Amino acid sequence: MPHLDAAHRFARWLSRSGSDADDVVQEAFLRAFRGFDGLRGSDVKGWLLTIVRNCHATALKQQQRRAAVPLPQEDDEQFSSAPTASTPDPESASTADDDKRTLDRLIAALPQEHREVLLLRELEDMSYREIAAVTRVPIGTVMSRLARARAALRVKWLQETPGEPRAVR
Amino acid sequence: MQCAEHYRVQAYFDGEVDAVSAVDIERHAERCAECRALLEHLASTRERIRRDLEFGAAPPQLRARIMRMLDQEAGVGDPRGAARRPTLWRNRPFWLGAGGGVGAALAASLLFSLLSPSLSLPGPLLDEVVAAHVRSLMPEHLTDVVSTDRHTVKPWFAGHADVSPVVADFAGQGYRLVGGRADYFDHQRAAVVVYEHGPHFINVFTWVASERTFPDLTTRSGYHVASWRVGNLQYCAVSDAGWDEVLALVRLLRDAGERDQR
Repeated sequence: MPHLDAAHRFARWLSRSGSDADDVVQEAFLRAFRGFDGLRGSDVKGWLLTIVRNCHATALKQQQRRAAVPLPQEDDEQFSSAPTASTPDPESASTADDDKRTLDRLIAALPQEHREVLLLRELEDMSYREIAAVTRVPIGTVMSRLARARAALRVKWLQETPGEPRAVR
Repeated sequence: MQCAEHYRVQAYFDGEVDAVSAVDIERHAERCAECRALLEHLASTRERIRRDLEFGAAPPQLRARIMRMLDQEAGVGDPRGAARRPTLWRNRPFWLGAGGGVGAALAASLLFSLLSPSLSLPGPLLDEVVAAHVRSLMPEHLTDVVSTDRHTVKPWFAGHADVSPVVADFAGQGYRLVGGRADYFDHQRAAVVVYEHGPHFINVFTWVASERTFPDLTTRSGYHVASWRVGNLQYCAVSDAGWDEVLALVRLLRDAGERDQR
């Protein structure tokens, strides 16, 4: 099943939970199969990821309704107070594993609309046009979100890994 | 304060600008230290993400779950399914509604082939083999005769298939003989020997070779298909296991075949 890996990866980054991601991907394949969302053009991967994204949004809404307490909106404010307690100390921050975990955490802490464009661009190697189709925003918005995501990641990375040499001039 | 060109520099980095603009932006970056630093940052971020972020494959249980779901969706267990299996699905995009009586495996393989970038590969026979493999992985379809003993499996074929394939147990090498099955395709009863390798099943199909050519190694709908001929017998191993694992079994089978002939 080509694109299953990409669909699962994307769902996991959207939902930030493995089991939720599984459900979302399963639902997405069902919808793809039933043809709820007609495939236009030939970009099958983009089409499938769009369905994954819709399924995630639906699942999130259902969760919120069940919880009866509205979850906070994913905005920059919330994530500026993202967990920093587990920040590794500078001594061990240089190990590759810690770098990986830090990167994982920093990307997870990005607001969803920034995180998704960044991952679609860097992990799935999709073009602006394809990303715009999946995320349903104009290409200009894709560009600005991508720029903000990358800039935020750089700033946070420098904050978290003080041992690393800063921009060499 | 950010250089006004930074969006264009980013677009250049992402390969989104034409050649003329690219030259223009490169010239700008030569003069603008800020944009040079931006390019370096973009490159290092990409490198870090592609190197360190998990590219993990979807869990096999999820894959199996989705197969089962598509299975149910297409109405497996509907006895009419098998009878109404014809080539309807080939002409009809599934989003127009492929459910109902279309055989599950075929519906599923239709989905897979749609999702597969290699649509243009030749060979409807190849489709049949992969569809048969997918069908075999559905509950209760894997084997007709369950045995790890080749002396049980091999004679069983005599009454059920048109060919007598090489059957051997390679448990020692990690390929456990699970059993045999007869599948009807290419207008004959093909013999299928099933091996288990770790979490993967490998179906080895054998039938009397026709004139139709078959690519040696190919990937269809994400399944690896390795085929070879011994005399007038066509062998074909299909699995979602990696190439190395499939080819190792092919080697074992070819060696065993040569021993049998001596």
